[in-house]
Amino acid sequence: MLAIFFGTCFVTGLLSHYQYQPWAWLPEPASPVWLYRVTQGTHVITGIATLPLVLVKLWSVYPNLFRWPAVTSLKHAAERLSVFVLVASALVQLTTGFLNVLNWYAWPWDFVAVHRFLAYVLIGSILLHVGLKLPDIRYGLQARLPQADVLTETPWDQNPLAHSNAGEVPPPPTPALTRRGVLVAAGAGVGAVVVTSIGQTVAPLEPVGLLAVRQWNKGPQRVPVNTTAQQAGVQAVAVDQRWTLQVNGRTPFTVTLAELDDLARSEADLPITCVEGWSVGAHWRGIPLLDLVARAGGDAGSRVEVISLQQGSQFARSTVLGPQVSAALLATHLNGERLNLDHGYPLRLIAPNRAGVLNTKWLARIEVV
Amino acid sequence: MKAWRISFAASGILLGLFGVFRLLTEVPVGNLVVLAGWMIGAVVIHDGILSPAVIAVGWFIGRAVPARGRRYVQGGLIAGGLITAVAIPLILRAGQEPPSKAILQQSFGGNLTILLGLVAAASLVLYALRVARDTRNTRSAKTAAGAEPSPERL
Ligand code: HEM
Repeated sequence: MLAIFFGTCFVTGLLSHYQYQPWAWLPEPASPVWLYRVTQGTHVITGIATLPLVLVKLWSVYPNLFRWPAVTSLKHAAERLSVFVLVASALVQLTTGFLNVLNWYAWPWDFVAVHRFLAYVLIGSILLHVGLKLPDIRYGLQARLPQADVLTETPWDQNPLAHSNAGEVPPPPTPALTRRGVLVAAGAGVGAVVVTSIGQTVAPLEPVGLLAVRQWNKGPQRVPVNTTAQQAGVQAVAVDQRWTLQVNGRTPFTVTLAELDDLARSEADLPITCVEGWSVGAHWRGIPLLDLVARAGGDAGSRVEVISLQQGSQFARSTVLGPQVSAALLATHLNGERLNLDHGYPLRLIAPNRAGVLNTKWLARIEVV
Repeated sequence: MKAWRISFAASGILLGLFGVFRLLTEVPVGNLVVLAGWMIGAVVIHDGILSPAVIAVGWFIGRAVPARGRRYVQGGLIAGGLITAVAIPLILRAGQEPPSKAILQQSFGGNLTILLGLVAAASLVLYALRVARDTRNTRSAKTAAGAEPSPERL
């Protein structure tokens, strides 16, 4: 089960990485519009659920830490080292992932890169662990739950009393919680965490979101913000009356603030999904990106760079490729109101199946290549 | 089976080494030292503090709680402990970002109290059901024994 959770995080995580660095010949599709919403929502909620599960798993194998003699052979030493790498990378991956979602950057390194490299180390050590333990895993899956003894201090194949060696033996009577009881209690705890967190992705569960990190209905225009205008340092330039959008291509032109409203005639319902897992559906009004691209001499096959007023952030520009060029909107309105300054006033990009950070805000310039 | 084991292990080693290689070549040394500190620290905190503390609590329950109620206390503590582990960072971090981000704008301490209350209530209900069942069983065993003393019943 844990292996499935870790695998899910790995696959959805790699999909998220692909949002940042798609290959030119295989651009992100524009539909289904909710694809990234589902994969990254799954990534974060699965990750949050894995954290307590790992605690239970480690607790159940804790006695093995004290098995004596500590190392019996070179092979055994290598195995224990691999378990150390597994445990350490899992704990660090899960805690830093969770803290990152809370915007609590308690480390000096670039989260995205280290999170990805550590994911390789973690998944590698899990694969190695599975390879080493395959016989035990098979035994564990075959044994009936109340009688399984894979978790005792002695490995089952060295234990003459193990059920697999001694045949069916009734489980020892205990006034304490049984193995099944532990699983039920842990499942209840993890289930409560999931139900009370997932409201930040699944709107109907927002009212019970007692542990939800984000609450979309508390954001301006009922959408949360990830980088505010102040954090981006654009409060002054973005509200300047002399603002223009410069569109460069074979036939360059500019759009002024006054012209925006005339051009912004298209509407679309598109979710906005943050890399941090929260997402919310929203209603947008704006200019189809393709209109401006065509006016600048490009077409649906062009590569389009959108550039923000924001300075000095890797997310101050992004590239629109392939099907998203035709599906993207340069939004002026959100949920029936003029775009809030924190949402990217006067103009921002919104495209389907696209990570929030790549929906560049406070646009200043567009390059049609 | 052997082929499976070897392919799992070999692909795992390759992927892991690839990750280590990317870390070593693309992350500045200073940050790698801090990362190593995090990894060792995580294991030390978990194995050295958290697990022994859990075992101490378990030992205490074994002595202090009568056998019949023990599993309900343990179950409640497992579920509640896991919820608390997730809630603590939320409590520590609440209210530190601008309100328009709509992030961590709840009173998570209060919310955690509600959730723990629900867990405690559920454990109590389960325990009460157990007590009720035990009482019914003893009573019906007694009546059965009174009516016709049959050995199987006892
Ligand atoms: C359990 C094992 C996990 C694995 C294997 C994993 C793997 C990955 C990978 C490969 C990426 C892509 C990074 C990139 O774009 O280069 C990613 C992104 C991400 N992961 Fe995880 N992850 C795990 C757990 C978690 C957890 C527990 C959380 C949070 C609760 C989390 C939050 C994130 C976030 C927020 C991103 C997007 C980062 C960004 O683009 O800013 N991950 N993950």
